[in-house]
Amino acid sequence: MSSRTTFIGAVEIGTSKITALVGEYNGRELMIIGHGECPSRGVIKGAVVDYKAASECTHSALEQAERDAGERIELVFLAQTGGHLEGFYNEAAVNVVAADNMIGPADIRTVSELAKAKELPAGRMVVHHIRRPFRVDGRLVPGTPENLVGQQLTVGYWTVHGQEQRLADNIHVIRGFNLEVRELVLASLASGHMVTTQEERQHGVLAIDLGAGTTDYVLYRDGSPHTTGVVPVGGAHLTNDLSIGLRLTQSQAEKLKLRFGRAAVQCQDKGDKVWLDGNFSIGDRQFPRQAIEQITAERTRELLEVVKKKLGNAFTPETCAAGVVLTGGTAKLAGLAETAAKVFGVPAHLGETPTWVADNLRDPANHTALGLLYYGVSAQHERASTSRRRGGFLATFKRLFASA
Amino acid sequence: MNPLNSQPPSTRHWKDIPQQVRHRAMSSGGRRRVLLGVLKTAAIIGTLAALAWGGAGVAAALHEEAGPASPSGPAVPLHDLVLVTDGVLDQAWLARTLAVPKGTSLMALDLFQLRTRLLASGQVRAATLTRNFPATLAVTLTERLPVVRLQVQDAADGPRTLLVARDGTVYAGSGYDPQLTETLPWLAGVKLQRQGGAFLPVAGMEPVADLLAKAKLEAEPLYAAWRSVSLARLESDGEIEVGTKDAIKLIFATNEDFFRQLANLDAILDAARAQPEKVLREVNLAVGGQVPVAFDRPGPPVPPPTAAPASKGPLFTGFNPP
Repeated sequence: MSSRTTFIGAVEIGTSKITALVGEYNGRELMIIGHGECPSRGVIKGAVVDYKAASECTHSALEQAERDAGERIELVFLAQTGGHLEGFYNEAAVNVVAADNMIGPADIRTVSELAKAKELPAGRMVVHHIRRPFRVDGRLVPGTPENLVGQQLTVGYWTVHGQEQRLADNIHVIRGFNLEVRELVLASLASGHMVTTQEERQHGVLAIDLGAGTTDYVLYRDGSPHTTGVVPVGGAHLTNDLSIGLRLTQSQAEKLKLRFGRAAVQCQDKGDKVWLDGNFSIGDRQFPRQAIEQITAERTRELLEVVKKKLGNAFTPETCAAGVVLTGGTAKLAGLAETAAKVFGVPAHLGETPTWVADNLRDPANHTALGLLYYGVSAQHERASTSRRRGGFLATFKRLFASA
Repeated sequence: MNPLNSQPPSTRHWKDIPQQVRHRAMSSGGRRRVLLGVLKTAAIIGTLAALAWGGAGVAAALHEEAGPASPSGPAVPLHDLVLVTDGVLDQAWLARTLAVPKGTSLMALDLFQLRTRLLASGQVRAATLTRNFPATLAVTLTERLPVVRLQVQDAADGPRTLLVARDGTVYAGSGYDPQLTETLPWLAGVKLQRQGGAFLPVAGMEPVADLLAKAKLEAEPLYAAWRSVSLARLESDGEIEVGTKDAIKLIFATNEDFFRQLANLDAILDAARAQPEKVLREVNLAVGGQVPVAFDRPGPPVPPPTAAPASKGPLFTGFNPP
């Protein structure tokens, strides 16, 4: 990315709302200068099902953000979620070529290409190749193994892939606003990057982003993402359960969930009842508080157990010393941290918004969009510096001539 | 795993998804952005075109301005030439050199060209030409002063005398009092080089001018006897050779104080006059504290055949100036 000022848009097409942020990046620092939001339509469980409706909402959020920023967005970092996303781990090892066993750039390139070269089923496309730390003769190397001495170089990649049509739909929604999608970032990586610190990631931490339609998670180990995943269940399912269990409309159930829902049952009095509206209007009804709490708590616990099950052997309390960090709109559900701690057997807490974020953006529901900007910029920066390093003297000259 | 034998299979990346989108798939906001983008591009192109057009117009205007201006009213022919100079050039020389055709209006004059003509003479160091409307051209000159003179032999013009200024400029000289130019020493020991129709400046005239100015100011009688100045040893030894009317060769060092050397010379000449039996031939002031002086024996007596001729063997003596 060049050093001139770029206006970057971060867009999260969520199930309940679409968020757009505008960041001003001058090559050194990023400032958030615009924010737009629109209730979501045409999106179910993170997937676009009604192109026109989803486009209108997304474009409305983008227009609002541009108005707020007073600048035109030049490119977009787009968050990607949905049940179609899957991941797998692939590892490769090469014998070091040099006679003195010193690892060179060619060894690193070869082993990385091999580890990433796994054929995908038809109709699937790579969203991310997430590299795990290199190992030299089994020894973990946190940084680059270049110039280290060893006989065998090993590296593994966690590859996230998704359905081509679903990915294309999301991209086309943004293109419909005449904007280029520069980065497609997994929602869990974006929000995880925002709510965890480098130290936590080094010690091992699980970040869970509970959205309305999906729950995204990322497990960090040794400072980098180890496993990611998406469970196509979110806060909307809690609303749906309340709606069925208490015979309510979706909006009434949503209202009850927000006011009385809990991730852990607290009320022991079966006779304790709460009003639906509480404004003495005609038709207002009473519901047992314990029933509401039981429904939401049960579903939340079940959701977290699904996450734990999907993580499988990757998650152990020993490898997740920094515990669980919860974020996303549904993370505001009372008692969620306690339930998460019980389910995972490690300390859990709600993700905190960094202090430099403006007050109007401090809601956990905005963590993905915020993280998108920062993760996207740092990913681009890292890619640019890697290509510069790889380029060498000749490539530098070629770039000079190309830019002249 | 051997990387050389395994060809990695190609995996498709999300970046392979084409980002083109059909117009009908765009929302009104997207179409508006496209329209704005087109308008912006058109505006940039328009602005650039306007700038280019404006630039061309300004260039054309400047070009017209640089040429002879066409006066809007009836042109008044040049009537007066006013000369202000710090030297000897006169009105007639100015009129002859400028050679302005009769009836030329003041605005039709190419001042740059006229100035070039003035400077080409060599005698003029700087010239300022000013139009004073309605019909006067004022010329202010700064002239060079001659330091030495030299004789050149042209195939076309025959022998002629030229003057050399302090900065080495060689010029014909005009308007000087002959009594002044005749007292100037002749310059020797240089090779003149031509460039075009003029001579290139003579190098190393600065110290010569200093020496002559000092001599003229501090020791006028000495200077009056100097007939030639040679630069033959200037570049190699840093010495200036002066020939006098009595055929005495005086050698001055350029890196020594000229005043001290002139004082030494004066003392030596006085001492030499006290020995009329000896004829002074050379005084070398460039050695330092000791001044070698060479004498020739005067007189005609024919030496006996066995004796060495006195005139061929100069007697060198160390002379300590008082």
